[in-house]
Parts: sequence; C-alpha cells; structure tokens
Amino acid sequence: MRAHLLPVAVLTLAVATWAGAGAGLAQRSRRPAPAAAARLAAAPVKPAGTTAGVPIQPGALSPRNANYSIDVALDHTSRTLTGQEVITWRNITTTSTSELRFHLYYNAWKNMQSTYLREDGVAGVTNDTVAPGDWAWIEVGAVRLLTGDSTPIDLSARRRYISPDDGNPNDQTVLQVPLPSPVRPGETINIEVTWTSKVPRTFARTGTIGNYYLIGQWFPKLGVLEEKGWNCHQFHTSTEFFSDYGVYDVRMKVPGRWMLGATGREQSHKDNADGTTTWIYHADDVHDFAWTTSPDFIERKARFEHKTLPPVEMRLLLQPEHAAQAERHFEATRTTLRFYGEWFGAYPYPNITIIDPAWQSGTGGMEYPTFFTAGSRWLVPARVNDPEGVTVHEAGHQFWYAMVGNNEFEDAWLDEGFNTYSTARAIDANPLLKTNYDSRRFFGGFIPYVLADFALSREVAGNGVSEYRIAGKSDVPSTPSYKYFPAWDTAVALSYEKTALWLNTLERYLGWPTMQRIMSTYFERWKFRHPSPQDFFAVVNEVSGRDMTWFFDQVYRSSNVFDYGVQAVRSEAIPGPGFVDRKGKPTFEDGTGQGDRLRSTVVVRRYGEAIFPVDVLVSFANGEQVREHWDGRDRWTSFVYDRGVGVDTVVVDPDRVLLLDVNRTNNSYRAHPAAGAAAQKWMLKWMVWLQDALTTYGFFI
Amino acid sequence: MTSIIAAFRDGAGRVRRAPAILAGVYLLILIATVLPGLAVRADIAASLGQSAEADTMVTGVNGEWWDQFGESATGLSKTFSPTIVGFGAPLDNVSRVLDHGALPVAVAAVVGVFMLAWLLLAGGIIDRFARDRATRRQAFFGACGVYFPRFLRLGILSLAGYWLLFGYVHGWLFDRLWNLATHDMTVERTAFMLRLALYAVFGALLMLWNVVIDYARIRAVVEDRHSMFGALLASWRFMVQKPAAVGGLYLLNGLCFVVVLALYAIVAPGAGGGGFAVWIGFAIGQIYVLARLFVKLMFYASQTALFQQSLAHAEYTAAPVPVWPDSPGAEAIINAAEGRR
Repeated sequence: MRAHLLPVAVLTLAVATWAGAGAGLAQRSRRPAPAAAARLAAAPVKPAGTTAGVPIQPGALSPRNANYSIDVALDHTSRTLTGQEVITWRNITTTSTSELRFHLYYNAWKNMQSTYLREDGVAGVTNDTVAPGDWAWIEVGAVRLLTGDSTPIDLSARRRYISPDDGNPNDQTVLQVPLPSPVRPGETINIEVTWTSKVPRTFARTGTIGNYYLIGQWFPKLGVLEEKGWNCHQFHTSTEFFSDYGVYDVRMKVPGRWMLGATGREQSHKDNADGTTTWIYHADDVHDFAWTTSPDFIERKARFEHKTLPPVEMRLLLQPEHAAQAERHFEATRTTLRFYGEWFGAYPYPNITIIDPAWQSGTGGMEYPTFFTAGSRWLVPARVNDPEGVTVHEAGHQFWYAMVGNNEFEDAWLDEGFNTYSTARAIDANPLLKTNYDSRRFFGGFIPYVLADFALSREVAGNGVSEYRIAGKSDVPSTPSYKYFPAWDTAVALSYEKTALWLNTLERYLGWPTMQRIMSTYFERWKFRHPSPQDFFAVVNEVSGRDMTWFFDQVYRSSNVFDYGVQAVRSEAIPGPGFVDRKGKPTFEDGTGQGDRLRSTVVVRRYGEAIFPVDVLVSFANGEQVREHWDGRDRWTSFVYDRGVGVDTVVVDPDRVLLLDVNRTNNSYRAHPAAGAAAQKWMLKWMVWLQDALTTYGFFI
Repeated sequence: MTSIIAAFRDGAGRVRRAPAILAGVYLLILIATVLPGLAVRADIAASLGQSAEADTMVTGVNGEWWDQFGESATGLSKTFSPTIVGFGAPLDNVSRVLDHGALPVAVAAVVGVFMLAWLLLAGGIIDRFARDRATRRQAFFGACGVYFPRFLRLGILSLAGYWLLFGYVHGWLFDRLWNLATHDMTVERTAFMLRLALYAVFGALLMLWNVVIDYARIRAVVEDRHSMFGALLASWRFMVQKPAAVGGLYLLNGLCFVVVLALYAIVAPGAGGGGFAVWIGFAIGQIYVLARLFVKLMFYASQTALFQQSLAHAEYTAAPVPVWPDSPGAEAIINAAEGRR
C-alpha cells in the first residue's frame, strides 16, 4: 500500500536512528553498575563470540548492524498481515558475503511437511486438531536492493528456499537471496522486502485467538552473518531465535480503538479515516520486535525505582478478569529488575511492557526485547507463585537473551539455563515470593488447590531437579539445541534444569561472591553481543582463578550424571590384645576377646559416571562428628574409625554443594532409620485417600 | 415437602437404629484399604531404607524424596501423590470422577472388589432399613445372599447406563461440545461458567440414573421383585409419580454430602508430624469416612422410607425375613454333612 513511497524516507530514518537515536540509552547504561562487575568487565579477554571485537558507535549500546523500518497492517477479518520493511544491514564480519538469508518463521506452520511439524510428529505431537483456518504462512513479494539514487535492483527472481540443517525440500523457513555483488566487511546495504502473511492459531507462542493477537517472529528477518558464513537455521520444534542487534522503527495499523503494546516505546498513534489506528514504535539496540493488540486489554502502569539502578516505566496490558492481579505482575517484574540489576548489571532501557495473554491463547511465557508475555489464571491463590514465577522468568530474559544475545538455536541453555538459575535465585531473595507452595488444579483445571505442606525451595523446585532426573541423560548439552531429541523433554531437562543445577552447584562450590563476579563479568562483557559457551567458560576460569574445565567437561560435554551415596556402614567390636597359640587357637589377654571399642567402616560409592569432590560427614552415637573430604574419583572409598561408640549417621555432601546429584536419598545413612515411622505415617494418610476414593466410587452402587 | 422431610428424618433414624450396618460397612472399607495400605507402606519403607531423608517424612514432608519416589513408583504406589494429603483427597477423587479421569489399574482393582463386596451387602442393608428392626446376623446375610444375584443382574444394567453416560455423553459434553464452545473463547471466567453448566447437566443425568437404580434396588427388596427389568420400570414409575419428592429427597441427601465435604475441608489434617499426631490425623480421617458412609446409607434408608410411605405401612416388606442358608445348594451340603438324603 505504501510500498512505493516509503523506501527513501525509511532509509533516511534508519540511518538517522543508527547514528544517534540511541544516545539516551547509552547515557542510561552508564549509570552505576555493580562495582566488581565494572572492574572485571574491563579486564583483558580473548573472546570467541560472534560479535567479539565489533566496534560500537558512540551513543549506541550494540553494533546496530541490522536495522529495520517496518510498516505492517493487520486485517482482523482475514487474520493476515501485509508488510513492507527496509533493512539497513552492515557486514560486521571480516569476510564478504554474496547472499542474504532470511528467517520466514511463519512458514513452519504452513503444512505438515515443514521441519518444525515433522519434528513435532516425531516427538508425538500430532497437530491433528489444527483447523484449516489455523495454519500460517508468510509469502515474500518483492526483495529489492536499494541503491540510493538509481533504480532499486530486484532480487526476487533468484531467491529460493534452502534447508541448511536437514535438507528438507518442503521446509520454507529460510529464504536465500543472492546479491548482485558481495557485501564487503564494514559495508552497508539497504534491502526492501514486502510480504503478506497469515497469522496462525497459536504455534510456538505466536498467533491469535478471538480478537487477541500476539505477533512474534512475524517479519522476514535476517540471520546472523558470522565469520564462517550465515547462521540462519530453519525453524525447529524446540528452538528459539538468533539475530543481530539494531534499531527498529515500526508502524502497525490495527483496528481502531484496539490497544497495542510492542517492543520499544510508543512514539505516537493516529486514527485513520478507514477506522484503523496506526501505532508508531521505536526501539534501539534490540534484536527482535514483537507486538500485541486486542480491544480487551486494560492498561496499568507502575515504575521501578532503585537507589543505584535506572528507573524503568512498567506498562502492563492485562486481561480484565485478572484486574486484581496487576500488583502481582509488577512486584515480580520489580524483583527481576532489582536483583538481576544488582547482581548482573543494570537494565538499560527506559521501559518494559508486560503482557497478560488471553486465556488459552497459548502465548504466555515468552520473551522479546523490552516486552514479554507472562501468564495467569482467573483463580490464583496467594501462596502460589503464579503468575510471579513466569513473570520473573520472562522479565529475566531481558538480561539473558535480550541483552546477552546468545544463539538460541545452538546454545539455548546459555539463556534458558542462566535465566532459570537466576529466576530461582531472585524469587528466593524476595521475602514476598520466597515462601510459596506447590499446587494442583481440579475440575478441568479451573479450581486451584494449594498443597500447603509442600513448600517449594530454590534448590529443588526452582532448579527443576525432578525434570533433570527424568531426562538428564537424553543428550549432551554441547549438542546444538535444535538437534535435541526428544525435543522438548530434553530441552527442558538440559537447557533449563541441568544448566540451572550446575550453575547453582558452581555457586555453592566457588561461593556466591565469586559466582556473582563471574555472572556480572560475563554480563557486562557480552551484553549486546553474541557469546558462545566457551566465552562463559573463559570468564569462569578467569574470574575464579581456577581451571574449571574438568567441571564443564562433565556438565557440558557429557551426559553423565552425578550420584554419590553411602553403600555400607558396619560397626564391629575390636577384639582385645592376645595371641594365637601353636594349635592356632586365639587367646586373649582378658580371656573373652570382647574389646570395649568398636571399629566402624563407612563405604561411600560413586554410583554415577560423573565426578565431583564431596565431603562426608560421619556422626557417632556420642555426638562426635568427623568430616572427611573425598575427591570422588574412584568408584568407592572407605573410612575406618575406632571409637568407643558406633556410627550413628553418615551424610555424603552434607552441605549439599552438588545439586546435580540425582539421588539424594542414598546420600545418607542412619543406624536407627526413621523409614518405618515415615512409612507408617504415610500409609495411614494414603489409606484415607483410598477410603475416600472408595466412598466416591461407591456412588455408583 | 412434608414427605421429603419425613422420609429424610425417618431415614436418619433408621441408619441410627442400625449402628451395626454402619460399623459393618466401615469395617469393609477398612479391610479393603489395609492390605493395599501395607503394600504402599512397604514401598515407602524400601525407598527410604536407612536414609536420613526419612526424618523429614516423619516430621513433615520431603518433597524431593516424594518426587523421586513418584518417578519410579508402580502399582498402587503410583497414586501416592501430594493430593492424598488433607482435603486434596476428596478434591482429587470427585474431580477425577466428574472429569472422567483414569484410575490406575491397581486402584481400579481395589475399587472393583469393594464395589462387588458392597453389592453383596446391599440387599441386607436395604432389607434391614426396610424392616427397620433388628433382623439378626443370619437374616442380614440371608438377605445378602437372596438379593446378590438379583443385584448383580441389576448391576450389569446399571453399568450399561453408566458406560453410556461416561463413554458417550461425557465425551460429547466435555470434548465435542466443550471444544466447540470454547475454541475461540478468551475469557477463562466465561469458560468456567460453561464448565459448571456442563457439570450440572452431566451431574443431573448421573443422579437421574443413580436414583433410578436406587429405587430399583429398593423395590426389588421391599416388593421381593425377581425381575430387575421390572424393578427398573417400577422405579421409573415411582419417580414419575413423585418427581418432586424423589428429587427433593435426593438433593437433601446430596446437601448432606456437600456439608460433610465442607466440614472436612475445615478440619482435614495436613501432613502433620510424627508420633501421636499421626493417629490423631488418621482418626479425623476415619470420622470423615464414617460420615461419608453415613450419608451413603442415608440415601438408601431415606429413599426406602420414601417409597414405603406409599405402601400399606412404613416398614412393609413383601418377603418374610430370609433365613440363611436357604438355597438348595446349601441345603444339599447340610444334608450331606448330616448324612441325610
């Protein structure tokens, strides 16, 4: 519609914003950060990440090499988007490229032959209930190279779909566009792309239901050019995204009077003669842009303030039925901004937008720069961290994903695991959120019930040890995340839980002060860049002053699990002194051979393949305690004690440093165990449950 | 209304005047749960072994151990979930029934055996309530023996009805209709209201069939009916004749069930500690189970009383007090034992 008018104006705007519009942000980012982080961030490094060493222009926070100026119109009736974008892209590598690669994510849900849905099928997700109108697609119209004064060069004819990951000829999620001449290092080009797309009934937390839209991964988006070529993966069922930082200017036309929220900040909005409204948003130093619109949202605003961190305007677009939950969303977001800010580094953007998605939209719990979806229910008990848990987590992705921009296709754990670890730590640090309980939902999932005896802890529930235990061996974390199988179970177990567990283990092993310095150094060094796993490992070794390679070999380059336990404890009387006569008969000085001392032998075993040093705490019946240290390398070791009393209790890893231990039950031994009393107690409780079941089913007789 | 209250009060009196019945069904449910309980106990004890993790399971809850146990549990122990604690138990069970959730096979087997045992006793229970006087042990079990074959036949008819309700009607309401109605719904509160309405519809159908079966049993005992088809039809006729009284009484008994649940929601013991507290918690649980059984017997007794209001006198029964054993087979055995031909 405006395609022929916009290129020059958009190009001018894009260049202008690239040059200086981020000045305000840059000033904000220079607000005091944790002193240790700032000091360490200045230390010399040998980074390996994609954008390492790329100069950042004055006034910017990021390289800003992929800038988008987008016009898009939503047709609610047909649920389609019609868009046009001008991309100002700069080659920040040291090699030339003669092509561009675009992500066309919506094509993942075009039909059952896409790689995404094939992988879904292999994982047992049939998608057989997807109605004909619920599918999605994105069709690129024209691709033109803008050349300033001369006529744009149409690149459309040579474009083609490629499948760099699996060769699937039916996958159309990556578009290759050859260029008439290579783009040299440091060179900037301008590309115009037009497209039309159909918004899906939600897949992968983007889509629509009723008059609610959450529009993510919706425009033709460039992959990331690395030294070795384009990193532009197909869309896979369990992966997320990867793209370069830039400046976004987006104009979104939606039905009149509908509310809209988006990445960045609103610049203005105007009502059009055709009954629509155009919203104009601008975002600096972000690597993605998402938006939502609906006539049903109610808006709430609050402000995050802190004595050393920059203030942040919080805008919440809330479902009317959740009106009473606004403060719960704000408190959770404050928790993230405060603790992540204090521990890792400041949130540099002036605002953040929280979206409370529509019921059964399937769009909850998703992060985009300066914008995220939380997720709540109509009935939410006070003592359960719902919606707080997901809100803290998704707000936390502003740090691990939006600012520290790792490749989510290949190393999803670098943001999901870091953020799971950080979420659990932040919730634990906030007294208002720390005490929370497990819950269940009944009657179609509508009625919540708080399990008031089941308090959730950071170490166990927060890090998800149960999910890790179930699927922790299903793959090696160094496998590219998009290749995990079974996709989601493995992604949850490895990217989220295993990483959170080993980070928390590292915290307990090195101590929080060191761990905090590690995390803040990594954050400060790699924010607005693309770190690799090796970059984090290097920071750990550098800041801790130890070579932790042995640890990363096990938690990152292996699927081995940790399991230490007490195998055997024996206490036997030590015979008194004596001799063996010529006939071989023992003769004791006291005549009985019954000494008054006991020899106790404690055998501790490494049941798992992975190795970690552990302490062993041995307690005797007289209260005496002995703490042993074992390097944990051999399959087993034993400790022998001669005492007047026997061993009462043995605990392997008494301080619970090794949170990755998959079987905590075998870590301890009691001479007088309480298993019988516990079993008796719980048998009686279970019997009441069964009696209740019998009386309930007795209804039918 | 008068007949409803009268039947309800009469029913309550009949249950009160037959404490052995309540004690008997309680004993049945206790026996039915002790052996499975011991199996679960053994699994828990084996899992905890000599671990110090057992300490926190005595003093409260060890969620981590519980998760680990649940991941590897089999058979009955698969149902050892956090919802067994306190009021979670009735919520879990009632919700499972209404949402047609699956029972683990091991528990389904226990439920099946319990239902068969109850079916065996049902004839004696209704006979006792119908006569409203002590009939002694022999007569009670005699009635059990007389009516068990009939109730088995009725049970098959009853099962067919429930199979229809859960196999088709439930699926139609909560899958097809629900999905159709909520496909584009974005307001959870609206969906919940719809869900409530569907529960009401399905619950009404369940109750309708339940009450038909109840009165069929009652008429089979009170009128000594041999044909269970006939009993079903007679039950239906009675309901059609007195829909308000039948429905009102059923709802009044249902209200008792809700009151019992509500009271249990208040006093239901949590995980608690060890020692004496364990037995206090168990005792509260047993009082709750007794109350549930009392309500169940109230349905039988009050409905019997309501039906007998329409007969010659309040304790009318067509058949004489059964004498046990009275079957030809048993008689032959006795004769053989006593050397008679």
